[in-house]
Amino acid sequence: MPWTFRNAPSSSDTLMFEKILIANRGEIAVRIIRTCKEMGIKTVAVYSEADADSMHVQMADEAICIGPPPSSESYLRIDRLISAAEIADVDAIHPGYGFLSENSHFSEICEKCNIRFIGPSSRAMEALRDKAVSRALARKAGVPVPPGSEGTVESEEEALSVAKKIGYPVLIKAVAGGGGRGMRIAHNDISLKKCYHTARTEAETCFGNSGVYVERYFENPHHIEFQIIADTRGNIIHLGERDCSIQRRHQKLIEETPSPLIENKYKDLRKKMGRAAIKIIELAQYNSAGTVEFIVDDNGNFYFLEVNKRIQVEHPITEEVTGIDIIKQQILIAMGEPLKISQGDVHPRGHAIECRINAEDPYDDFRPSPGRIEMYYQPGGRGVRVDSHVYSGYSIPAMYDSLIGKLISYGRDRREAIDRMSRALGEYLIAGIKTTVQFEQNILQDPDFRRGVYSTGFVDQLLRRGSQ
Amino acid sequence: MDLKDIKAIIDLMRKNSICEFELEKEGFKIRLKRGPNGQNAGAQPDEQVGANAGPGLFTPSQPVQPMVQPPKPSQPPEIDIKSPMIGTFYRAPSPEAEPYVDVGSEVNPDTVVCIIEAMKVMNEIRAEVRGVVTQVLVENGKPVEFGQPLFKIRPAE
Repeated sequence: MPWTFRNAPSSSDTLMFEKILIANRGEIAVRIIRTCKEMGIKTVAVYSEADADSMHVQMADEAICIGPPPSSESYLRIDRLISAAEIADVDAIHPGYGFLSENSHFSEICEKCNIRFIGPSSRAMEALRDKAVSRALARKAGVPVPPGSEGTVESEEEALSVAKKIGYPVLIKAVAGGGGRGMRIAHNDISLKKCYHTARTEAETCFGNSGVYVERYFENPHHIEFQIIADTRGNIIHLGERDCSIQRRHQKLIEETPSPLIENKYKDLRKKMGRAAIKIIELAQYNSAGTVEFIVDDNGNFYFLEVNKRIQVEHPITEEVTGIDIIKQQILIAMGEPLKISQGDVHPRGHAIECRINAEDPYDDFRPSPGRIEMYYQPGGRGVRVDSHVYSGYSIPAMYDSLIGKLISYGRDRREAIDRMSRALGEYLIAGIKTTVQFEQNILQDPDFRRGVYSTGFVDQLLRRGSQ
Repeated sequence: MDLKDIKAIIDLMRKNSICEFELEKEGFKIRLKRGPNGQNAGAQPDEQVGANAGPGLFTPSQPVQPMVQPPKPSQPPEIDIKSPMIGTFYRAPSPEAEPYVDVGSEVNPDTVVCIIEAMKVMNEIRAEVRGVVTQVLVENGKPVEFGQPLFKIRPAE
């Protein structure tokens, strides 16, 4: 049901973009530039002094240095990004993921400066501004959430009373937390009292927001998320799910679609969860691409976790099975175009898997391994896609994340996608730094993974077995 | 090719900040080169322009070697005043006013050498060194990025 237009007036008119500034770096900047080139849109790259030799700088039509190496002095500097956008006279900014992509202040400043922000409006971001607020909105939408507190808990007593109501074990979560940080597990009243105070202090220090809430703790749930796309006129679709349960310390390593759990055990979940995702997006009046995250227990019960208000790292697997360029849809929506794809048009086919390749040493507790790539050869062939910014001779800077590429395989079914991924991983040649390629291969060979029987506890179990 | 054509080429070079131009055809060869201490105070140095000056403001630069002068032994090496921000470079406080500095101007750390305008805010940029301006590296009204050299200074001993 299309609701009346409520976004900022400037985004209501259709505006053909001639030039876009990409406020990001690394592989996602390359990804965005590629779609812009296909759409005939000129690109402006921004870079810190540490990224002068980076691929996105070379690929873009123009490049502007925005500061010294630290992100806080470059990629996170809203003033410099806006200045760069102004002198390069761009129509829009794509924020990528991380950095300022979910910063409503940045989205708002773009709006004020008449630069289109390729992402949700600042209002939509505010409606989902933190985990507690999003939880409340999901509840309002009639979507199941993990049993827990109504909003934030303001005292130890409140935390204890919530825990008593829902039962242990519980999680104390920072409302502004992310990337697996800002969470503590409490198994009883004593540990809860301790955790409550440390969690609040930690939240203040790490996220600048000491708000916490309490939720039932699910041991090794499945992490299943739904990709949604919404335009500025109330049209919303979902592009199916991604199973992202293969994680280490809450960092995703391997993602796949469709989810083996849904395909093999709970096929009716797809429709239910897809509908739930859309309801939340509708209530939040969200626009652009986004991902609704759920956890699913072994009995097929699903619970809303949060909305990721940006394009995500693992978006390529959804692109491969649906044939839809999600970045392109984001750009069209930001231009003011109505969504031309209806839910009935979405027919995921086949199976896609993504392995994140990080410059880390899996045999040394995944310690980051920056440095010069002496020799680089990436996999290819049928059904193989590599989203990466690195090349032979490239020096990986030490101060940003360790993701050097994403390897995506596509097959007619899961078996073919796995065999193809395994074949492709074996083709990688990366000399000079340590990477997680072999570790990913070990996961691919694991019988439980191949059976499609795994949850978020999988990688820890694998690591424990390996060290015995 | 007559003098008019040569003048036209020189003008084009100046307008597009091209430092070297060479043309060879039957029985005729011409090579024009603008020195680093060119007559134009606003000339951009080699490093700022890619070999193909494209339509964009900041085409990704190919590694061009700057034209380096053999160091004069008795003088300290020149240093750059680099842009601390992104914006538009102005040599004077207003269009009719005299430039803050020129080649030969003496500066001390507090001397305002230029304005960089960003988001309608005029930021005064100070020299932060003591010495003499030997080159103005950016044309008036041109955009500058972070770290871009604006002036060459011969520091005082």
